[in-house]
Amino acid sequence: MAHKVLIIDDDDDIREVAALSLESVAGWEVVSANSGAQGLARAIEHQPDAILLDVMMPGMDGPATFRELRKNPATARIPVLLLTAKVQSSDQKRFADLGVDAVLFKPFDPLTLPKQISAVLGWK
Amino acid sequence: MDFGGKPALNEAVDRLWARFLPHLKERVAILETAAAAFAAGNLTIEQHQAAIDAAHKLAGVLGTFGLSGGTALARELEMMYSHEGGPDPAHAARLNEIAAELRGLVENRK
Repeated sequence: MAHKVLIIDDDDDIREVAALSLESVAGWEVVSANSGAQGLARAIEHQPDAILLDVMMPGMDGPATFRELRKNPATARIPVLLLTAKVQSSDQKRFADLGVDAVLFKPFDPLTLPKQISAVLGWK
Repeated sequence: MDFGGKPALNEAVDRLWARFLPHLKERVAILETAAAAFAAGNLTIEQHQAAIDAAHKLAGVLGTFGLSGGTALARELEMMYSHEGGPDPAHAARLNEIAAELRGLVENRK
């Protein structure tokens, strides 16, 4: 099944490699946003099956974007996976406490990123 | 689900690397400038924050392009710059050394 994933990340390089991975390795449809605000709008418009959300972004950061996604009935049920380069256990606990569906770590392997997402979301 | 196509994916990743290389080099330059300023005792608040951001971004991206050693080095820099009160003066040489190592890794990726 071709899933649709929204990638929200202010870094062009990360966004494009992740999109390349999900599109070419798994054949999924990808929608991208370069900010939390743009991500919220695209989530409402495109209703993705999952959202890959960067933590550190200028303006509305990942956790703030996540809270807005959960507040809005149109996006509240979309699974959200935080994507972070923070590896300290205090950060990991803070992210897990937000209530996101999973926390994935940068750097990721483009060849296996879709497998990671499928595994945590139970996608076949 | 087909997770094949590794050679084609690697080629596409290489094309993205070439496209983003100038941007990655800019981040390394920020780290070189910050290391030099810190060694000279005139690291500004802006340079300090820019160094934390650049190190964090490089830590997140280099491994994705196959440079896991670069991610480890960038993480080390991020930790040193994020130290409360700023980097330890005893680490001045190491800050510079890591920035130079990152430059070499980024410029010599095959």
